[in-house]
Amino acid sequence: MELLVQTFLNGLLQSGIYALVATGLALAVGVVGIVNFAHGEFLMVGTFLSYALLTALGIDPILGFFMVTAIMFAFGAFVYRTTLRHVLKAPELNQMLLTFGIGIILTNLALQIYGSTPRTLNLEYQGSSLQFFGLSIGYARGASFLLAALIMLALYTMLSKTRTGKAMQAIAQNRIGAVLIGLEVDRLYLIAFGISSALAGMAGVMVSVLLYASPYVGLIYTLKAFAVIVMAGLGNLRGVIPAAVILGLTEAYVQTYAPDGGGWAEAVFFALIFSTLIWRSWRGA
Amino acid sequence: MLKPLPLAALLFAFAFPFLPLGDRTAFIQQISLFVLSSAVLALSWDFLARTGQLSLAHAAFFGLGAYTFALLANAGVPQPIAFLAAGVFSSLASLLLGVVTLRLHGMYFAIATLSFAEVLKTIINQLPFTGGSQGLLVPALFGGGFLTLYFLGLAMLLALVVISELSKRSKLGFAATAIRQGELVARVLGVNATKVKLQSFVISSFFVGLVGAYAAGKTFYITPPEAFSASVSVTALVMPIFGGLYSTAGPILAAVVLRILEELLRLVIPQGYLIGYGVILVLSILFLPKGLLSLWKK
Repeated sequence: MELLVQTFLNGLLQSGIYALVATGLALAVGVVGIVNFAHGEFLMVGTFLSYALLTALGIDPILGFFMVTAIMFAFGAFVYRTTLRHVLKAPELNQMLLTFGIGIILTNLALQIYGSTPRTLNLEYQGSSLQFFGLSIGYARGASFLLAALIMLALYTMLSKTRTGKAMQAIAQNRIGAVLIGLEVDRLYLIAFGISSALAGMAGVMVSVLLYASPYVGLIYTLKAFAVIVMAGLGNLRGVIPAAVILGLTEAYVQTYAPDGGGWAEAVFFALIFSTLIWRSWRGA
Repeated sequence: MLKPLPLAALLFAFAFPFLPLGDRTAFIQQISLFVLSSAVLALSWDFLARTGQLSLAHAAFFGLGAYTFALLANAGVPQPIAFLAAGVFSSLASLLLGVVTLRLHGMYFAIATLSFAEVLKTIINQLPFTGGSQGLLVPALFGGGFLTLYFLGLAMLLALVVISELSKRSKLGFAATAIRQGELVARVLGVNATKVKLQSFVISSFFVGLVGAYAAGKTFYITPPEAFSASVSVTALVMPIFGGLYSTAGPILAAVVLRILEELLRLVIPQGYLIGYGVILVLSILFLPKGLLSLWKK
């Protein structure tokens, strides 16, 4: 019974990070209309920024978190201005290839600079955990989850209350209509993609603390983020949180209960994508 | 029938192994084999792209082909059968993946192919009979002599070239173009879009499987990370874009140029040539979306 509950907790805590990453991707797909295959690589850049801030400047990830968020927002805006903006009207194939190319460049740059060995951050609070009723929650893990929940709350408030947020929703609902009523689409795309990239960066800092920084985390998070937004429906922001929880829980249970589970947990996202697609194609969506 | 330029290229391809190459013969011969197999990969990727579908799963079918060939050949199956089986098995896998994903909008297919490649690597790593992360020894393909491999590679490429050129004048080719330019319109006009996409996918994957077996039989040893390496998918899609999408000559031209460049680059920087591929991909999309061939035609 305790194992069952502990597994549930582990899965739930993990889904906080998934929700952050996938919301970022959903913004890129839904608002900007770009299927960003480099999204996980943005997260990967975040992990290395966090690592670099700690090792080179001695800045703790708690403070580094805010710096990485700002840097990644600027980075996203930069990527939008220099590349994506010029292919908004190109065929979808070209757009996807472009972001895939950006991902290749980022992964291999990280490989050149840091090599393929994962880099761990050494922090005092990493090992400590909260114990109750025979269950345990790592402080870092619990804090990440709360932070993620807070960020999601702030983001949803922004989307539903502010003018910029409402304008983004309008674009997501009807691109041509948004232009017709005079929304400054280009500026909104820039902001949305910046936020998307910043969300990936925030998740990156959490991954660097909970796990490690490695050039290879990018691809796996791209895929998991896609699994979440495919389940939610591409570009559907509201479905992201429940879908992220499903992914987190399924992975946790497979890891704990399946024989040789550690290896198979990495295949869960695929099973989810595939079964959603089968379901959707039968429904004829 | 053939214009002078393709004819000259063909004659050169046949004469190449008998040319005097000087001190570096072995090195140049190796590059020529890489050029041939890359050209097949690139052209097979383009063949599917003509329907507007982005496949990120070339690595998966490449790896499936390599493992099918290795397992069958090690079990004593005659090599020609094992070689063909590699292609057939990859085709079957693509049929399965395609039936589920090709009915949906293009980006679902791209996502599904990318995750398919990643998950297959995990599965092969876990299965009991594949040697896991230890890898497998592979017997030399048809004895492994240079001339045999060269002409086998050339035969694969020519077969694909013929299919590619014939399809351009066939219903399949026209249907593919129509789907790429507007799937809804194509469907309204009576094109069975899902079927056309599936056919292209299956043909494309057959050749990728063959190349996988070819590469495995050339290196004698395969492991999951190498057989399913993402770099296979990357090179397969960068080449057609750099050379010129939706053509037969573009991917082949780019395979020759990029593969030779890559080998020369590797002499200087052993790792990191993939950055070069990423940069070429991004720059081509931004500044030369119609590829090298478009420069020629100007």
